[in-house]
Amino acid sequence: MAQKIAIMEDEELILNLLEKKLTKEGYELLIARNGEEGLKLIKEKTPDLILLDIIMPIKGGFEVLEEMQKDENLKNVPVIIISNSGQPVEIDRAQKLGAKDWLIKTDFDPQEVVDKIKKQIG
Amino acid sequence: MAVENKEAEKIATLLEDLDSLENYIRDLFNFLPLPVFLLSPAKIILEVNPAFEKITGYGIEESIGKSVEDIFNAEEIESLIKETLDKEFIKAKAISLTTKSGIKIPVSASTILRKGEEGDVVGYFFSLFNLTDIKKKENELINTQKSLLNILEDTETARKEVEMERNKTLSIVNNFTDGLLVFDGKGKLSLINPQAEKFFNVKKNDVIGCSVAELSSFPEFPPLVEILGKEIKEVFREELIIKEHLNLEVSSVLMMSEKKRIETLVILHNITREKTIERMKTEFVSLAAHQLRTPLSAIKWTLRMLLDGDLGQITKEQREFIEKSYISNERMINLINDLLDVTRIEEGRYVYKPVLADIREMVQFVVKSYKEEIAKKKIKFSFKKPAGKMPKVLVDEEKIGVAIENLLNNSIRYTPSGGEVSITLKSDKKEVQLSVKDSGVGVPKDQTERIFTKFFRAPNVIRLDTEGSGLGLFITKNIIEAHGGKIWFESEPNKGSIFHFTLPIKEN
Repeated sequence: MAQKIAIMEDEELILNLLEKKLTKEGYELLIARNGEEGLKLIKEKTPDLILLDIIMPIKGGFEVLEEMQKDENLKNVPVIIISNSGQPVEIDRAQKLGAKDWLIKTDFDPQEVVDKIKKQIG
Repeated sequence: MAVENKEAEKIATLLEDLDSLENYIRDLFNFLPLPVFLLSPAKIILEVNPAFEKITGYGIEESIGKSVEDIFNAEEIESLIKETLDKEFIKAKAISLTTKSGIKIPVSASTILRKGEEGDVVGYFFSLFNLTDIKKKENELINTQKSLLNILEDTETARKEVEMERNKTLSIVNNFTDGLLVFDGKGKLSLINPQAEKFFNVKKNDVIGCSVAELSSFPEFPPLVEILGKEIKEVFREELIIKEHLNLEVSSVLMMSEKKRIETLVILHNITREKTIERMKTEFVSLAAHQLRTPLSAIKWTLRMLLDGDLGQITKEQREFIEKSYISNERMINLINDLLDVTRIEEGRYVYKPVLADIREMVQFVVKSYKEEIAKKKIKFSFKKPAGKMPKVLVDEEKIGVAIENLLNNSIRYTPSGGEVSITLKSDKKEVQLSVKDSGVGVPKDQTERIFTKFFRAPNVIRLDTEGSGLGLFITKNIIEAHGGKIWFESEPNKGSIFHFTLPIKEN
């Protein structure tokens, strides 16, 4: 059965590119354009991994992480942060909330993101 | 005949006795050390004794027959005579006499009335007592009294000044915008100013006299107690969070009080605003980073996927142009990364989380990520480190990593294929030194001053490699100097360069 990846990202172009890349790799995708949508999605279907943006409208990445910690089904789902900010304070905070990795989009190519995903869930 | 002889004998004996008596009286008179004189009712001096002579300077012959007013004050004598007539005996009245040489002498005069057989006044006996010494002593006493009064006044003035100073100090302490606490020699709280009362939400009377341990029972004190410890040690600008929205910076200093016991002054500075501003800056930089990077990451990924064939086939020509676009975009991304680093450096508090770290490990970590590139350029690389243990340094690992990486990156980039790059570590008691040597293009002599400035890139490297932002060495210098270290270099154009930096070893 295909592994499920949830993507929460508000940047349309990035979302499209990720969709294309990840579908090619054979993953099933759950797509949300903000944290609120995203939480609803992952509460219905528990994904195998989550690609999470930080700055999103309505609910941002940190709020999603906090809510996930409170949910038995979700608190152990691996999360890779894909963001364009990356200050040590923030990375620290995400780590404390259970995030497995933090990727700054401008520093990584799409293929590298896929490699990171594979490292987490194969 | 016999009766007449007996009478004559009697008379002779009486005359002898009288003579004797006269002599006796005269001797007594002369012997008296007190000046004595006899005054007639007409105020003429009838008799004087040698002591009188002595005090007035007038000889006996001179004095007898003199008017008393030649020697004494007329009014004083007049008044004294009147009183003597009235009371027959006056004791110690202060009058003054003037000596032959014109000196005025204060005397105390006592008088007695001399009456004749019929009760008429035949004269006045005066005895004098020289008051000069007494007057002198009296004056000395008065002067001493005056001096004492002056001293008293001065003491009072000094006391008032001290009180004013004390009031001034108290006023300063009470109105000081920083919180102040003083712990006395026995470790008990002896002073707390109103600002500190506010910080800790206590009233002075509740906490004065408490030991550090006792203060822990008040809800807001434990964080401070933890920083100071039971022994109330000296700290410098430690951060303390009392409650949400109250960040304090604590400094404590030991003071020697007069009694030689150590008191501790604790100063609490409110840095809530600074912390808030810092937080706001961090948020701004974060937002700025995000806003600038968002379109660039979209472009990067699109171009990458085009190049990787994820969006369909592309022609050779298309590939060429897309590749160039990709590289150009990468430059932009690097520039923004550097700019963001610079912003953070210039904020001042750039050193984020200093920890004790092993510099060897940090170098190994950086070197590992350059293994590929070193191999690709066929560079002969070596890492020389001392055999034994190296002292640890207190550093922000991420930033020092950036510093090491910048130097290594430059060396590799500006050294042609087949060249040499080496990293050397050494240390002494005071510092650790890292040197990065290369056989690269070097730094032109006329550019040495500017090499560490913002955006500067020497003309010889721009020709070689158009990519650099010119911020790497600027950032590296700032990082090293923020850690208290030094950075410098030696270079010869077309031969190579060695860049050195030192990091201080913190003594514990």
